[in-house]
Amino acid sequence: MKTVDIVYNTKKKKGETQYGKLFNDGKVRKRREWRGLKDTLYDFSRWLYLWGVVIDVTMSKGAIKGLFRYRWMSNYLAVPHAMDKFTMGMRDETLRITHTAMDFVVKDVAKCIKETLRGDRRCGNDVEFSNKCVLSDENAMTVFMMGFPMLKAILREIPTMFSANIMTQQSTMHYLDVAQRFGIPGDVCPMPEAEAGISIEDDFSVLGKCAVQVNTTCDGSLMGNGLIAKRLEREYGIPTFQLAAPMRHESPDVLDYAAEDMKACIKWVEEQMGVKWDWDAYFECIKRVNATTRMRWSWLEVNSTPYPQFYGAVFSLFNDTDYMGNCGRSADFPPIEKKINDLIIKGYKNKTMQAPEYRHRCIVWGVQPQYCIDQLYWMINCWGVIPLTDMLSMVVDKQFCEENKPENYEQAYKDMAYLNMNMIMRNKTHGGYEVLVDELWEHVERMNADMVMMWEHMSCKALNGLHGQFEDQARERGIHIVWVNHDLCDPRVFTRQQIRDEFSTYMRTVMREEPLDPTIEFLPDEHAW
Amino acid sequence: MKKLAKIPLIALGGATGTFAVLFTVYFFNLDEKFMAYCVDPILQWWYDNKVEHKYYV
Amino acid sequence: MRDLKHLQYFEDLLQEANNELIVKAKSEGKVCAAFLCENTPEPLMNLGGTFGVRLFAPNTGSMDIATYYMTSLLCENSRALLERAIEGGFNFADCLVAPDGCTMINRCAENMELLHTMDGGKDNFFYENMEIALKGDENGVKLMRLQCVNHILNPLHEKYGIDISDKAIRAAVKEHNEICEIIMALSEFRKEEKPRITGYEFAVFTLATYVCPKYLIKKKLQETLKEVAKREPDDKPYRARVVVVGSEIDDVNLIKLIEDCGAYVAADRFCFGAFPGRLPIPMNDEEDALTQVARHYVMMSQCPRYMDMPKVYGRKQYVADLAKEYDVDGIIYQQVNFCDPWAYEKLLGSTMLQDDYGYPVLAVNRPYNIASSVGQMRTRVQAFVESIEIKKIQGGAK
Repeated sequence: MKTVDIVYNTKKKKGETQYGKLFNDGKVRKRREWRGLKDTLYDFSRWLYLWGVVIDVTMSKGAIKGLFRYRWMSNYLAVPHAMDKFTMGMRDETLRITHTAMDFVVKDVAKCIKETLRGDRRCGNDVEFSNKCVLSDENAMTVFMMGFPMLKAILREIPTMFSANIMTQQSTMHYLDVAQRFGIPGDVCPMPEAEAGISIEDDFSVLGKCAVQVNTTCDGSLMGNGLIAKRLEREYGIPTFQLAAPMRHESPDVLDYAAEDMKACIKWVEEQMGVKWDWDAYFECIKRVNATTRMRWSWLEVNSTPYPQFYGAVFSLFNDTDYMGNCGRSADFPPIEKKINDLIIKGYKNKTMQAPEYRHRCIVWGVQPQYCIDQLYWMINCWGVIPLTDMLSMVVDKQFCEENKPENYEQAYKDMAYLNMNMIMRNKTHGGYEVLVDELWEHVERMNADMVMMWEHMSCKALNGLHGQFEDQARERGIHIVWVNHDLCDPRVFTRQQIRDEFSTYMRTVMREEPLDPTIEFLPDEHAW
Repeated sequence: MKKLAKIPLIALGGATGTFAVLFTVYFFNLDEKFMAYCVDPILQWWYDNKVEHKYYV
Repeated sequence: MRDLKHLQYFEDLLQEANNELIVKAKSEGKVCAAFLCENTPEPLMNLGGTFGVRLFAPNTGSMDIATYYMTSLLCENSRALLERAIEGGFNFADCLVAPDGCTMINRCAENMELLHTMDGGKDNFFYENMEIALKGDENGVKLMRLQCVNHILNPLHEKYGIDISDKAIRAAVKEHNEICEIIMALSEFRKEEKPRITGYEFAVFTLATYVCPKYLIKKKLQETLKEVAKREPDDKPYRARVVVVGSEIDDVNLIKLIEDCGAYVAADRFCFGAFPGRLPIPMNDEEDALTQVARHYVMMSQCPRYMDMPKVYGRKQYVADLAKEYDVDGIIYQQVNFCDPWAYEKLLGSTMLQDDYGYPVLAVNRPYNIASSVGQMRTRVQAFVESIEIKKIQGGAK
């Protein structure tokens, strides 16, 4: 079996080192973590900032109405609670990197909520604003909006489903029950199922002049879109366009098809919204995407060293936000990326570590559970297993054409189509076993990992369909593969403790190790947010 | 003059007091406890009983 | 009714994937082009020198090994196919073409490839995955055409020297249409008030056209058609007439079960069924044959992976039109367990067929091999038939 050298933290950790005492079996933690004076005050300042963001949303147009109309809004009472999950055990640069990235993600989601409720016919009812809005799926790279700076892309499934489940684990249960009551079986992926449930119960905000749906991520998303579109079109009079993202995205013979459909989509948006595509804006956006990609790959290079700096849930969520919701469209992202980059360099030079030792280097693969995504930090604190990267962060690695010339427009459509097809997560779960299985071993090799933590999302047929191949090939290569089952956003199927137990059982029985912090091996958070 | 000299002291006292209160709320997680045990149950009751839904497939 | 002369023969053919006709065709030196999905243009698998066979796994029992590779949450159809492949049950195939239509069939095909289930010792064997259009438009037709060239025609030509010219394709379409015309002619008898062919019998003949070399069953199908035309129907009335809609039904015992409960399966809108899989492909001389074939498969497909709203609404209209044409009393929407596309299509379809078109609908899940769940299915269908009867008594099934 492959092994790596243990890396020891030469610095003594300030503040508390055993985190079990922060928990009881309540909905939220007993108290917050003492991180030493400097880091605690820093965390306090970020807490104030987060409450500022929450209050700002609450005071915005339509927010109070939205809070009392939409069940999913209540999950955002837990924003600081979510942040606590992601910063457990962090100090110094690691803490600052996480806050910089995650606070920005929170602000971005807050902006999404504000805009959604502002334009919502039932809440803010700002018709003029709503008429500038194009609805989009949460699981879509919003490339088709890159040349429409005068319009707003509203990813209304993000605050309702995606980020809500990061806040509280119970967020989707009600909607899943609704969907199943109406006849969708329980074995399908809960993400599109919950979205279908939200649509059936009429808990989506209603705004916008038109909607673009994409078949990413998967069969479930493709199918759920039809159900959602029917309601949009027939009940709310909002026309929809289905933008095709071919499955075999690595195959060159699908690109023309995808590019043609991208052209058709852009033309359709122009017609619906009465605007023209702006190539200047597009090329500005694609430059940002290229810069983001270069930045992310440099961060991954740092993670390939003994001192990874930006990892875990927040790394993944930041990349999600940057590539999907933003896709180069916002000028606010580059300064944040730069700030994170500076902190990473500083942390690397200072050899900043989160745990007393890093015993194992782990690639996290598979689809991660929203409600337990913080497990990656728990892995570090409890077992000294450092997650170098995750599957969702391994999004595009190529650079796109940046020169704004008419002769580059055809290539630009292909680039947009490529980006669209290579949507986060989907670029691995679909497109052939080469991208899902073969590439995993390439990353293991390149990042010097000795372990793979495989999120086995039990309803993800794309991943489960190659379960045996992962097993066989990991065995051949002598790589530890730790299977951790979950059901994405339904905590009733696998609780958080069951998920942790699966990892702990492997560490105890196969690796024959004891936890670094035994106080968090078992956490009473079954009923927690 | 004496009153003017007291203003910074009062401000400092006020700021210190505010900081102490906020920090206490922060450190003992009183904000989230309030949200979880007081606000959230009311909202859940409201969604279950007061919001009418039009179910549509 | 008098037993049909060739029914037993066809029933026997359906007991094994590697049936005697496949053995015969192979012994004649023909190349077996296996495929997994209705989105694969069948005529291209039946060019001169090849015969196309859609893989199925009759009499599947345990799926343990396939379940190890694919877990228990993938659809049973895909697991049954992989299990059969691992057992060596598809070793007659000389190539496998799998569209990336649904994730589960795609993973099934990939496992078949990675485990070398069919290519052992065969230098020319190829596995190909093709993209399928996601929308019913001309862009999709162009894609389908290109995919057929790259993933069916060129490999067949390069590996096996198969003639892939326009002439060869037209000849294959002609042969395909001959079989389709026989099936469609048989289907017409299902419109009768006292039908001369049962839904089960029809399902047997139709399924055979997918899983056997077509040129070897043509004669017997033609004889069967003549026989049915002269057949005296039973006086026994069925209690209800239904359309069965949904995903793969390669197990004719399901149709038998439904009919044993008193419902006549008048029309079939499922994979391995007549609609749209056995609609003849219209051809003209203005356009090349391949494009016309591609257009037919893209525009006529009723597969739920087609996601544009005209297709989404169109699939329900299609079922409603079939229901009207075949004068049915109700519609059965069924899906194999763990099928994602049909999980949603079943919900939307059953809702729309009830609310918009006024048909009673039964929506059911079922295992791949119906033998493992006969009692439950029987109960559901019987209850549905009774509800239709009650509606009729109360003055109108719709």
